[in-house]
Amino acid sequence: MSEPLTGTPLPAQGEVAVVYAGDYVNKLSGQRIERECLTRMERGCRALVINFRDTELVNSIGVSILLGVIDEAERRGARVAFSNVSLHTLKLFELLGLTRLVVLADREEDALATLEEFSTTPPGH
Amino acid sequence: MPVRTPRQRRILARVAPEQFVGRGEQLRELTGLGSARAEQKGLLLFAAPQSGVSELLRQTFDELFRQRGGPAPVYFAFTRADAATTAAGRRFLQTFLTQTLAHRRDDPALVSATPTLRTLLDLAAPQDYEWVERLIQDFERAQGEGDERALVRLCLGAPQQAAAHGARSVVMFDDIHAAEALRGEAALGPTVAQTAAQWGVPFVIAGPRRRLLDLLNGSLPLAALEGLRRLHLERLKEADARALVEGLAQRLGVPLNEETRDLVVQQLEASPYLIAAVLDAARANAASLTSFREFQSLYVDELLGGRVGRRYASALEDVAATPALRRGLLRVLYESLSNPSGKSPAEVWMKRLGADALEFERVMRLLHMHELASFHATYVETTPTTVWRDFLRVSYRLQVAAEPRALVVADTLVEALKRAPQTMARHYRRESALGLSDVLRGFNFQRVPESLLRYERWARAYRGMAGEEARAGLAAEADTLQLPQVVHAASCASFHPPMRQLCDEERCTIAHGFESGVYADAGEVVWLAVEVESKLEAGRALTELWLERLEQVAQACGFGRVRFWLVSREGFSAEAAELLDERDAYGSSREQLEHLTALLSGGGGAGDAAADEFAIELPMSEDTELIAAHTVEQIARRMEFQPEAINQIKTALVEACINAAEHSLSTERKIYNRFRVEGDKLVITVSSRGLSVPVTLPENGVAADKNNGGGEGAKGRRGWGLKLIRTLMDDVEFERVDDGTRLRMTKYLRK
Repeated sequence: MSEPLTGTPLPAQGEVAVVYAGDYVNKLSGQRIERECLTRMERGCRALVINFRDTELVNSIGVSILLGVIDEAERRGARVAFSNVSLHTLKLFELLGLTRLVVLADREEDALATLEEFSTTPPGH
Repeated sequence: MPVRTPRQRRILARVAPEQFVGRGEQLRELTGLGSARAEQKGLLLFAAPQSGVSELLRQTFDELFRQRGGPAPVYFAFTRADAATTAAGRRFLQTFLTQTLAHRRDDPALVSATPTLRTLLDLAAPQDYEWVERLIQDFERAQGEGDERALVRLCLGAPQQAAAHGARSVVMFDDIHAAEALRGEAALGPTVAQTAAQWGVPFVIAGPRRRLLDLLNGSLPLAALEGLRRLHLERLKEADARALVEGLAQRLGVPLNEETRDLVVQQLEASPYLIAAVLDAARANAASLTSFREFQSLYVDELLGGRVGRRYASALEDVAATPALRRGLLRVLYESLSNPSGKSPAEVWMKRLGADALEFERVMRLLHMHELASFHATYVETTPTTVWRDFLRVSYRLQVAAEPRALVVADTLVEALKRAPQTMARHYRRESALGLSDVLRGFNFQRVPESLLRYERWARAYRGMAGEEARAGLAAEADTLQLPQVVHAASCASFHPPMRQLCDEERCTIAHGFESGVYADAGEVVWLAVEVESKLEAGRALTELWLERLEQVAQACGFGRVRFWLVSREGFSAEAAELLDERDAYGSSREQLEHLTALLSGGGGAGDAAADEFAIELPMSEDTELIAAHTVEQIARRMEFQPEAINQIKTALVEACINAAEHSLSTERKIYNRFRVEGDKLVITVSSRGLSVPVTLPENGVAADKNNGGGEGAKGRRGWGLKLIRTLMDDVEFERVDDGTRLRMTKYLRK
């Protein structure tokens, strides 16, 4: 099972970070995603893209951790986008109510573009 | 029956409820006697030896005791230690009062106490004081009067007295055969039956199956016994026996592997008593059961001086009270083992024992009751069970032949080890038999395509065809033949014992029936069916050999009109098929048999009836649910499920495994998955020992149990797993099983 990768150095404040979920989002990999996201938000990142390109399966523990990430992002005024979500995983997220809380994009580039403006706009504006 | 949760305190039961396997149905029936709506008031329990009947009754006691507001359970086992019927009657009265009052006080500790009658009076609640005092006074008066019959009837009448004052009970009598040995004016067995039948209170009378009715009838049949429900307790089914071995091994901390487990079940013939004895011995000796050698070593120890040996020794003492008679009996029993048929004339036995007619009859009656031998008036047949035969050998060699103990131990162990592979091979052959007896028993004048019984026609038309296509072809066939109505079917060996040397009993069946609707000579027919063992198509020589053998059997048994049916898994060669046609014998392959079975059971054909089943066992550790998901993916692909459906199945299974891991209370930490392909659906069961269901399970799958994964993530995920499972699968149900709960999910194939 692949580790979630960022592939890039830690971004400076205001930039958008991309976190890659592995092929199976469960408790362990979910916690890794959570750790990566929190680290980036602590360094000032206000937009996160979680890329599900390699993800075949997500279990309910993984979903609940993702919800935790979304909650934390909201608390910090950050936005979250999911990209490259397979049809099956998307239906799962819909069933459990995640899709109302995040930006959805087919590709990582689209998600980055959508979130770019959020990363440079101060909260409240 | 209420869900039994683990760690319920035991009162009389010696085994924890969750460890008591294979008797769920019987336990439900017995505890059902406590229901106010129960139609049956009395039940006779016919028990095979060593079938665990006493533990079943004790489990019933505990179950009923825990049901507050219901009748008080009373368990009473007769014993020779009472010596006289009056002592047994007194002990029954004391037991009845103790256990009834214990239940009414909700005081389980009182059950195992032995308070005096006067102490019991002090313990009685105000609403019970009057009838308890009256009973005790009546008893003391009757005791003083010296009228034995009146005293016994009074004691046995206690449940009726109690019921008249609102104290309901369910009374269970165990070991009724021990009552026969008690001194007294009246036979206690019939007295118990007559009295119980008059109580109007639910009761159970348990005893050896071969003697129970005789013990209760006495010299005249009792009208009271007619109409009583009869429950038969056999040895465990093999699957339950395996579960018992595993459960005991785990509880006692005895290392066990599957191969040894299976040998334990086969060699001890699924006897709960023998299995428990061996596992207890393993624990006591800090031994493990991870090899045949370890098991056989323990087994021989048990046979020579452990609980197993003592059990049989005790039974022999019961049969033959004096040492001289016992030695004589051992000799005769041992010598009978060498008789190929196992049968000897009764006269020979009587002479060899040197017993008079009365003593001989008593010995035979007891041997028959304990199922150590079968007495058929003119001949005696030693019971051929493995453990009994081993016991006879070691006992004879030690006690009669006075051989050195070390020699007997070594020989017995070596023989047991040499026998073990044969025992298992026999078991596997039995399991793999095609079930001809069952098929024949299903014959009832049905019309079936002739192709199913004529291999040559089948091979020409259907060989290599897919199941559904073959089914369609069979449905359209014009040439049919009418099967007879089979009224009796049994193994060939039971008609003609020499057949035992030629094939396994399960593979050769003789069925008697009628070919027309009228039961007349002209319609009488005997089918002789055999499963021919051949790795490839059965050749002409083999086919001819079996036809001749069946012909010999038919002649030896004096059968009139016969029909031969040979079944060979891979079918028959062209020459063999030709021979079958020449002799007007039927021939079928396994595939034909499957289609026939499906037709007879009302299914569409082999494609519908046949089901593949896969099973995997996973440890509860990180991500092992993925292994299950990948396995089910492969199975679903074979069934040609759509990709979306496969993902749904995988996700549901992952959630089910996580659910099992979270809710299982078992320390073995394993999840069992079964995948059953049934035609147009895939049925998945997920279970784990000690799996408990969330406290409530409303339709949306959100459980009220706060332990259901709360705390994972800010919003938690209570009930998400079950919600996902219900949404993604077509049918979902939780099934109660002996050891907890099992989740069963079904996905239908939509093409």
